[in-house]
Amino acid sequence: MATAAETVGRYLPLTARRERFSRFADQFRANTKAKIGFAIVLALVVVAVLAPVIAPYSISKTDISHRTEAPSVQHLFGTDSLGRDVFSRVVMGSRISLYVGFGAISGALLVGTVIGLLAGYLGGMTDELLMRLMDAAMAFPPVLLALTLMVVLGPELNNVVLALAFVYTPYIARVARSAALAERNESYVEAAVARGESNRRIVLAEVLPNCAAPLLVQGSLNVSFAILSEASLSFLGLGAQPPTPSWGLMINTGAGFMETAPWMIIFPGLAIGLTVIGFNMLGDGLRDVLDPKVDTVEA
Amino acid sequence: MYAYVVRRTGFLVVTLFFVTVIAFVVTNILPGNVALLILGPNASPASMHALQTQLGLNRPLPVQYLDWVDHLLHGDMGTSLRFDEPVATLIAQKLPRSLLLAVSATLVAVCLSVPLGIYSAVKQNQAPDVAASLFAFVGISVPIFLWGLLGILVFSVWLGWLPTGGYVPPSKDPVGTLTHLVLPAGAMGFALTAYIMRMTRSSMLEVLGTEYVKLARAKGMPRRVVVLRHALRNAIIPVVTVIAFQFSYAFGGVVVLESVFHWPGIGQLTLIAVQSRDIPLIQGCIIVVALIYMLSNLAADLLYAYFDPRIRYGGAA
Amino acid sequence: MSVEPTPGPADVAGAADGDAPLLEVRDLRTEFTTRAGRVVAANDVSFSLERGETMGLVGESGAGKSVTARSILQLIDRPGEITGGEVRFKGADLLACSEAEMGAIRGREIALVPQDPMASLNPVLSVGDQIAETIARHQDVGAAEARERAIEAMVDVGIPDAAERVDDYPHEFSGGMRQRVLLAIGLSCQPDLVIADEPTTALDVTTQAKILDLLGELQAEKGMAVLLITHNLGVVAQTCDHVGVMYAGNLVETASLEDLFANPQHPYTRGLIDSIPDVDTTYDALPAMAGSMPDLTDLPAGCNFAPRCPHATEACQAGGDPPLEPVDGSTARVACHHAADLDLSEPTVAGPGAVGRRAVDRSGDPLFDVRDLRKHFPAGDGLLGSLEVDFDGGRPRVSRRSVKAVDGVSFDVYPGETVGLVGESGCGKSTIARAALRLIEPTSGEIYVEGRPLHELGATEVRSLRREMQLVFQDPGSSLNPRKTVGAIVGRAMELHGIATGAAKRRRVRELLQRVGLPGDAADRYPHEFSGGQQQRVAIAHALAVDPKLVVCDEPVSALDVSVQAQILNLLHDIQAERDIAFLFISHNIGVVRHVCDRVAVMYLGEIVEFGSVEQVFSPPFHPYTESLLSTVPHADPGRETDRMLLEGSVPSPVNPPSGCAFQTRCPKKLGGVCEREAPALEARGTGDGHRLACHLDLEAMSDRDAFI
Repeated sequence: MATAAETVGRYLPLTARRERFSRFADQFRANTKAKIGFAIVLALVVVAVLAPVIAPYSISKTDISHRTEAPSVQHLFGTDSLGRDVFSRVVMGSRISLYVGFGAISGALLVGTVIGLLAGYLGGMTDELLMRLMDAAMAFPPVLLALTLMVVLGPELNNVVLALAFVYTPYIARVARSAALAERNESYVEAAVARGESNRRIVLAEVLPNCAAPLLVQGSLNVSFAILSEASLSFLGLGAQPPTPSWGLMINTGAGFMETAPWMIIFPGLAIGLTVIGFNMLGDGLRDVLDPKVDTVEA
Repeated sequence: MYAYVVRRTGFLVVTLFFVTVIAFVVTNILPGNVALLILGPNASPASMHALQTQLGLNRPLPVQYLDWVDHLLHGDMGTSLRFDEPVATLIAQKLPRSLLLAVSATLVAVCLSVPLGIYSAVKQNQAPDVAASLFAFVGISVPIFLWGLLGILVFSVWLGWLPTGGYVPPSKDPVGTLTHLVLPAGAMGFALTAYIMRMTRSSMLEVLGTEYVKLARAKGMPRRVVVLRHALRNAIIPVVTVIAFQFSYAFGGVVVLESVFHWPGIGQLTLIAVQSRDIPLIQGCIIVVALIYMLSNLAADLLYAYFDPRIRYGGAA
Repeated sequence: MSVEPTPGPADVAGAADGDAPLLEVRDLRTEFTTRAGRVVAANDVSFSLERGETMGLVGESGAGKSVTARSILQLIDRPGEITGGEVRFKGADLLACSEAEMGAIRGREIALVPQDPMASLNPVLSVGDQIAETIARHQDVGAAEARERAIEAMVDVGIPDAAERVDDYPHEFSGGMRQRVLLAIGLSCQPDLVIADEPTTALDVTTQAKILDLLGELQAEKGMAVLLITHNLGVVAQTCDHVGVMYAGNLVETASLEDLFANPQHPYTRGLIDSIPDVDTTYDALPAMAGSMPDLTDLPAGCNFAPRCPHATEACQAGGDPPLEPVDGSTARVACHHAADLDLSEPTVAGPGAVGRRAVDRSGDPLFDVRDLRKHFPAGDGLLGSLEVDFDGGRPRVSRRSVKAVDGVSFDVYPGETVGLVGESGCGKSTIARAALRLIEPTSGEIYVEGRPLHELGATEVRSLRREMQLVFQDPGSSLNPRKTVGAIVGRAMELHGIATGAAKRRRVRELLQRVGLPGDAADRYPHEFSGGQQQRVAIAHALAVDPKLVVCDEPVSALDVSVQAQILNLLHDIQAERDIAFLFISHNIGVVRHVCDRVAVMYLGEIVEFGSVEQVFSPPFHPYTESLLSTVPHADPGRETDRMLLEGSVPSPVNPPSGCAFQTRCPKKLGGVCEREAPALEARGTGDGHRLACHLDLEAMSDRDAFI
């Protein structure tokens, strides 16, 4: 079976960059975890994008006459206490989870990388101060800190994204810092200084590209944490507000009907679990492929 | 070793300072809220202003901060707006119950994950390893509150073995405390297992690949001795830090779990505080939780030093 | 002390066989499964070892020596496995033994002494525990008795204060002491065979000499056989009775020690012996073998050595590996089709075109002038770690501990010359290189580059001055950014200093890469696709890209295999002649320094103790430290006995350097009080001008030995 490199090489002149990417693609495909994780995430994105098409029923229109019906052919996941189709709500809920996950972590990546790189590369007082600050922020359990922020910001989905970005920034900063520290000690950074490069150029051209790998891994792992946190916040009533079909919120409502209509919590729960497993597997798989010794923070 | 302890404690103090700053800033972004909360939305601007002056809310922020820290150092965390009682008292009442929950959950997690981690490392990539990894994976992928709910569904509602929630003080009925503890501690413990297990596994794998383990084998030591005496003693060191971290992570989980199980601890208290926008109570709760986190990290650092003679004795390189 | 080991399978059989060799390896074959396929790391290796004999197993990294050694002890794990052959030890085949039986033999009858003592000792167990557990395992004694015997073992290997130190942890010992602990573990149960895997590679020259002496004494005392694995022919020449040479998984020659050096049969052996620059021979260019050892996943069709062999013919290129066969009139066995026809007893002379030594013009100003350079690092980590609190008569006094890595160093380099900095690890040579180039900020001192005060210039000026001074690092693998192509790395320097851009730049890059001996398409490949030697060539090209006047080489060949070292040294030599570049050459290898440098500075604990031309430094008067260094280097010549001057103790810590002269704690010629009170200045002494020494001794006392030249 031809490797990706050979396949690519047949159609395009094989430059070094393409060869490196196709090597990565080969390894990625060889890693089962990464493949499954990627497949799940891809499926999720497709579902989220096509949600309005896939969902057969409206997510907010109530229909009391059909409330808390068990799963059937018309209602694959059953109906909830207000007669809404659980399947449609779960499908639409994927948009919310993805929005929160990607949104929060993109923000965290942006701010966290800058902080971490500065701290790691410059060292000294800057490093000490920034890291004490990050340590202090990490001293608060994520959900607790997010809760507190929601009080100040007001319970609303967009604020959840903001709060979670703030909460997860230190974890990204830590990873960026340790990657930058490791890079700083590499001889080729020293060689760049000896060549006469400016600090700015060194950080951007020599250090940052080599930090991309651990950041990518940590980022994808953090997406799953963010999704879990949003679920918790919504479960507590401080995240998305009704009638938003957030999975966490659905479980909140469903908890009261657990004995008689367990499908109200089981299906949203499965959705959360599957999504998180997908991102976790992707993150783990990426870690194996990119560099088994990559240093990440488990939070 | 002495120098190490002093240094670590020094860092703790500095971080604690930043913790108070964060706690203060986060809860005081909109100072007008407090007066609004107390007097309600129909209050007149004049009475709001009067109340603000009375509560000292019109002073510049740094001054308010210093005043607040000063009170903190004297053990005064202010008065709860909702309960009209000293915050410190409320927390002192509820904290031990959460500690009980967190400690039990961590114990469950450690008893499960460390042996599993060792076993997985020794049987790397074979069936038991894959199964254990899968088990751990599932544990962290589902939100804690869902494990709680499912636990209630299965063990309380369907099987009727355990109560659905609530708390019984040990002084009244120790057995009752235990039965009420099983589900929440189990749910939380299950969620904590994954990281500890993974850390144990990867630490063991790394140690099993070192030159000194190879030499132990080359000396003719039997496999069991190599794993337990040579490898484990080294591998356990980083695991200790993860356990401490997970212990404090448990406090994040209590917020949600206590709500599911109606467990009257600090999590539930924080939730009420948040729902009622009771700023002093919120501040008190998050600072106490952060302090517990930092203390458990310090404990982990000290244990680390105890286990690793390179830190304990310093000395020539 | 009486020892009664429990009988094992090998014992019972061995008791009857008095004449057979102790160890007989026949057609040992070990293979590894890698992603690139199946690799044969040890290919039908056969040799034997008698009781009490020392055999050296020599080869470059990847040749298969360690694999062979570990296969003997059945210590090969997935993804490797032993697929064929026999290992007869005292008559019984070890490869047929079960794991349980091997467990009884390992440590008791055959002991392994590995290299790298820091990694091979368990950091959380005391050294006493680690020795005692071996004893307790193999000999039927209780814990207390085992501990007593452990202390005795420590005394045997020369660890001072053994009884007090038995409960200390490995990190509390120096490198040499840790190696002695490993020896103690190995010898604790009186094995019949000791396999020593590179036991002195990580140690400095003096410690190496002491450990080898110790091994020799213990062997004579206890009658053990030793299988010594090393890449250092000098060590072999001083310690072994007979030698085996490995190349790409095959054993290509075995012979008695004298025969191997006097009349090597295999071209590779000849090439190895030639590649080593000996301390007292002058070379113009080193006779170097082309290419490098092939990767085991990509072996040539015929003889593995044929692509590099100057005597290869058509017959050698096909038909598989030549078998190992005895040679008439010699103890040797050799795997070469042409062994009978070749006479390799004379050293190869370097080919035509080798450039001789140029004269250096020192009439003008020096290109690079360093005066009283100091670099102190804070000891301990973080802001609080380096502080030290003394209670001086009741009142606390806070001071900052520092590591005095470089403590007042002055030297100069003229255009086109090569100045060497030689010293053992930890003496501060690498720190000087970095501080002198202002890659780290010096604590104090002056540095003049072409007359300009580097130590005073602002950041932008320093950056533009960097064009004149470049650096080649020790580890070629990590000095090249793995995510950039070779062409991008070399080209970047040109861009940065405005030398060339676009097409002109690409052309120059190509030319430069070809000049350093790399293929034309190298520019588009990534560093990891090249071998170590080739990566170092890229690093050299990168340094030359900006046409510098000075190149600082920090141990440029230490991480490379011996046969590749010679190639790189020759390359540097040629380039210097072509472009008139000055080199500051840093190394711990005295033979290399002798070959490459015009002037040399000998360093000890952050200071220069002797400075002069190579002829001056290698002839009397000697600084005692220089004398000791030069006398302890093992020569690749078995007939030679040098009168060695061994030093006591080990290098003091740079945090607390000794008072007065830094060397006084170990100096065999110490005068007394004056050495402890007053640090001698580096002054012009002795014959010839420019020869400087820092010592209180008078010239006569420093000259009681003949020159090393």
